[in-house]
Amino acid sequence: MVTRDAILDVLRTIDDPEMPISIVDLGIVEEVRMADDPADQVEIDILPTFIGCPALPMIEQDITRKVGRLDGVESVRVRFVYDPPWSVDRITTEGRKSLEEIGVTVPDRAQSPELVQINLPVACPFCKATDTRVTSPFGPTRCRMIYYCDACKNSFEHMKRL
Amino acid sequence: MVVMTMQALPDELKMPLAELLLSIADDKLMLGHRGSDWTGLAPILEEDIAFSAISQEEIAHASALYEMVGAMQGQRADAVAFGRPPQGYRCAELVTVSDEFDWARALVRQFFCDHFDALRFDRLSRSAYEPLSALAGRILAEEATHIEHADLWMVQIGRGGDESQQRMQAALDLMSPLAGMLFEATNGNDTLEQSKVYPVGDADLFDRWLADVQRVVTDAGLTLNVARPASDAIGGRHGRHHDGFVAVLDEMCEVYRIEPEAAW
Repeated sequence: MVTRDAILDVLRTIDDPEMPISIVDLGIVEEVRMADDPADQVEIDILPTFIGCPALPMIEQDITRKVGRLDGVESVRVRFVYDPPWSVDRITTEGRKSLEEIGVTVPDRAQSPELVQINLPVACPFCKATDTRVTSPFGPTRCRMIYYCDACKNSFEHMKRL
Repeated sequence: MVVMTMQALPDELKMPLAELLLSIADDKLMLGHRGSDWTGLAPILEEDIAFSAISQEEIAHASALYEMVGAMQGQRADAVAFGRPPQGYRCAELVTVSDEFDWARALVRQFFCDHFDALRFDRLSRSAYEPLSALAGRILAEEATHIEHADLWMVQIGRGGDESQQRMQAALDLMSPLAGMLFEATNGNDTLEQSKVYPVGDADLFDRWLADVQRVVTDAGLTLNVARPASDAIGGRHGRHHDGFVAVLDEMCEVYRIEPEAAW
């Protein structure tokens, strides 16, 4: 019989189609359920990063295909759920490192809701300077903004916090 | 006050909700379709990216609403979005008229619609129907950048000098007569309000919208004149569309109609 750990191990091998980060590190895997009877039906709840993100159908196919190949799995069903809402805070520390390597920064973890949110300057993923500014709130995808580093003169991308 | 929430929608609310969701989704699909005309042609690169991103997002949000309507009606979202006859669409005239490749008109249209959407989705995010309130809350959060963008450019262009002010004022004057019909109520709107599926806010929707846009227009050094529509005015929300609508629909649905059952 397949175990939850075995399924999660497979999910860790599935990357976002565009960025070198697993869907587990991206924080979009919300729940893995195995039916009691029959025990070979697997249901996986995924949180969309952004509504209608074009990567989602590809991720769904990858999950269905790869988890479906596990011994003891008869069927896989992927559900997209909006509750709880995905946020950048769900990206793991490992995930943040992978993104930084390709020049994508992630906002710092949110302070507790009671505290006033102070916007700290974003550190350049290449030279680590904080001498950076937004050049466009709209980037190559809906989840990213474009920043510029005045220190090393490179553009980079920053994940949006909703 | 205890707010009754529901996970399942009672039968008598399905038609009214479909009418409302279609009016919102059709507005956004058409707006996204029109906005995408600017891809490759916007005055500066950043605005090309902005319009493209905003248009993509409008369509993505319309798609989520079409999924919800499709689930109620037993249809695929694509069929809902592209498969209706012209009188089946619930979009307002404002979103389908041509902007004649005048960027100021495109900005004004987006400005009017972004502020209207913020108010509609704010109400829907408090819907008694939980699947809808969750989706609406998400859409509201994702669209925050649209309003920021629209407001910024109204002020930039309005205060940019004589020529830019004149051209932006001309665009406002031209598009304003159509703005009122955004507020034409859909069929069954009262039922949705009473059941709290589309709960009313503390102020009238039109009044709130007018105050919001007026604030920005004043800040931009421009003037605005929008009249509330007559309560018996019949327009896009009831499937009555302007002469150019069929051509816009035909253009948008051309690819879909070649092979409606295709999986993309």
